[in-house]
Amino acid sequence: MQTKIIANKYYDNNQSDNNHSLAADTKPWNDKNAKPFVRIKNISKVFGNVAALDNVSLDIYKSELFCLLGKSGSGKSTLLRILAGFEKSSTGIIEIDGQNMENIEPYERPINMMFQSYALFPHMNVEQNIAYGLKRSGMKKAEISQNVEQLLSLIKMEGYNRRKPHQLSGGQRQRVALARALARKPKLLLLDEPLGALDKKLRQETQFELINIQETLGITFIVVTHDQEEAMSLATRIGVMEEGTIAQVGEPREIYEYPATRFVADFVGSINMFEGKVIKNEAADLRINSPELDVNIHVANNIACALGQTLWFAIRPEKITLQKEKPKKRSNFAKGIVEEIIYLGDVSNYRILLNSKKRINVTRPNISRDEKEKISWDEEIYAVWHENSGVVLAS
Amino acid sequence: MRNFIRQRERAISLKLGKKLVIYIPLFWLLLFFLVPFLIVTKISLSQITYGRPPYLPMFEWSKDNLLTIKLYFGNFFLLFSDSLYINAYLNSLKIAALSTFFTLLIGYPMAYFIARADEKIRNILLLLVILPFWSSFLLRVYAWIGLLKNNGIINNILLNMGIIDSPIKMLNTDFALYIGIVYSYLPFMILPLYANLVRLDEKLLEAARDLGAKPLALFFTIILPLSMPGIIAGSMLVFIPAIGEYIIPSLLGGSDSLMIGRILWDEFSANRDWPVASALAVAMLTIIILPLILFKNAQKKEVAIDE
Repeated sequence: MQTKIIANKYYDNNQSDNNHSLAADTKPWNDKNAKPFVRIKNISKVFGNVAALDNVSLDIYKSELFCLLGKSGSGKSTLLRILAGFEKSSTGIIEIDGQNMENIEPYERPINMMFQSYALFPHMNVEQNIAYGLKRSGMKKAEISQNVEQLLSLIKMEGYNRRKPHQLSGGQRQRVALARALARKPKLLLLDEPLGALDKKLRQETQFELINIQETLGITFIVVTHDQEEAMSLATRIGVMEEGTIAQVGEPREIYEYPATRFVADFVGSINMFEGKVIKNEAADLRINSPELDVNIHVANNIACALGQTLWFAIRPEKITLQKEKPKKRSNFAKGIVEEIIYLGDVSNYRILLNSKKRINVTRPNISRDEKEKISWDEEIYAVWHENSGVVLAS
Repeated sequence: MRNFIRQRERAISLKLGKKLVIYIPLFWLLLFFLVPFLIVTKISLSQITYGRPPYLPMFEWSKDNLLTIKLYFGNFFLLFSDSLYINAYLNSLKIAALSTFFTLLIGYPMAYFIARADEKIRNILLLLVILPFWSSFLLRVYAWIGLLKNNGIINNILLNMGIIDSPIKMLNTDFALYIGIVYSYLPFMILPLYANLVRLDEKLLEAARDLGAKPLALFFTIILPLSMPGIIAGSMLVFIPAIGEYIIPSLLGGSDSLMIGRILWDEFSANRDWPVASALAVAMLTIIILPLILFKNAQKKEVAIDE
């Protein structure tokens, strides 16, 4: 709450139009008439003969907290560097707030970046670091120090003005880097692995602070991360990147529940995948025969596919239930032996070896404290799922 | 228990190793720097005489068991009373300071571009900087004589091209002296600067540009302050030996370019006045060491403030 008030005060100065935050129910990406704030059009980047980015197009809306999620080498950092102006794209256009960014030097762009290693200037103290950008824009001294004080209270680090970066903890450095990047009131803030250097507990706290600051300031954030949990908890939308292309763009829930490709399904969370062939495809009735399962897979919706086509059925571990007696239905289950149980308190993870020698993972909440209902090692068990629980993937 | 003893043993041998690493160089410095320096100091405090050695002994043990220690300070008073020496000192400081400035001016951009060059050619460029060391220093200074003298290469080219009618006098001027010093000491400036600049985090430069720093501001607010240790190290490496430089002023400099190294040599060989020559040497060392100590103290203070 404290943060909210201060943040508003800071941004009231001259950017009041940025002040409305993204309400929970407005989703401009679903609105066909909404104008994107950042337009990335057909961006490609070639280093030598390696394509780091291959024809990437992406629209990002005002006040979004957009996460670019991908492994290292997926091109997410290259895209960020092109946005910041440190790299020139081989082809394609970037527009920010309707303005073409081609031939605009990094120091002239309405964009600021928070670097992965924070890149705080080691020879300057906290105040000088935060004031750096303001000084460059020729702001008066009194105004600068006023702004610095406001930013210091925004990041809850009042009184740290004279500290040098090496005298700060990792979390404090992260906040100073954020304040420095916010100081010039950018239209767009780029964050490269903003929480990567923090330990787990600090990361969770900082995550909420970051969301809070973003929501109150209403600045558009683009965050690059390899950590899918971080992306899930931060983002309004996620763009999953794979080998220089965007594999899928969607809200965190969409990415998790409706992955578009096997790569996305596998990269975000864990998943069980069965390869099979279509044997029936009618309205609300798709049947797949997989050699990895004894019975057919039945899915309660149909997709565009041909009979006999190879498809993949993917189902999350927590969407499978375990039972000791044979289910009555003739599809959507698998018989196996409990190979391993990992007890985590709230949930347990079971690894089950199916008759086909395929292993699947099942996560079940530990609802009962009763020892009798316990599933034990080497027990014969049936893994069962509902006809709406899984996704069918064509690629 | 046995394990514990083994660990102790290892700790002791490690300590011994550390001591060896420290004490061997220390012993070396003691033997080949401190002892000769003490000998020179001793000579500087004795009187000149005609004989061998050309100075009177400091310690005398007479027959009536009396030890007399004679400390003669006349040599040092002479340094202050004769304007020749003071002028030579001041001139040496001026020449060393200006030469350091010029080497910095030329060396900094070179070091910067080597540090920013592609990794593959970086080592080749460094090698080129060090390459002159592979030929004799004396030879390289003589080569400059060939270039600068009245019927030397530069004058001949200019004459043949018709740009000048009569040769420009370059050899045995201050100009030649500065060229000689700057040329000879340039690698000593480039190498520490390079070592500093190559470690400069590219991310800091990007962060500064991202925050609106134009190229000039980028240089003065980020690159220059962060390379200060390299600048200081390089300047020390040029300034200190340049003060006592002897070969370059005597070969390239004019007869009026008084430098302390030359005076020292004249006192020592032509005048055979070892005590005055020694006093000059002691005074020179003091002049060099004083700013070094001050600099070290300033550095310590800075570190103390930081922590």
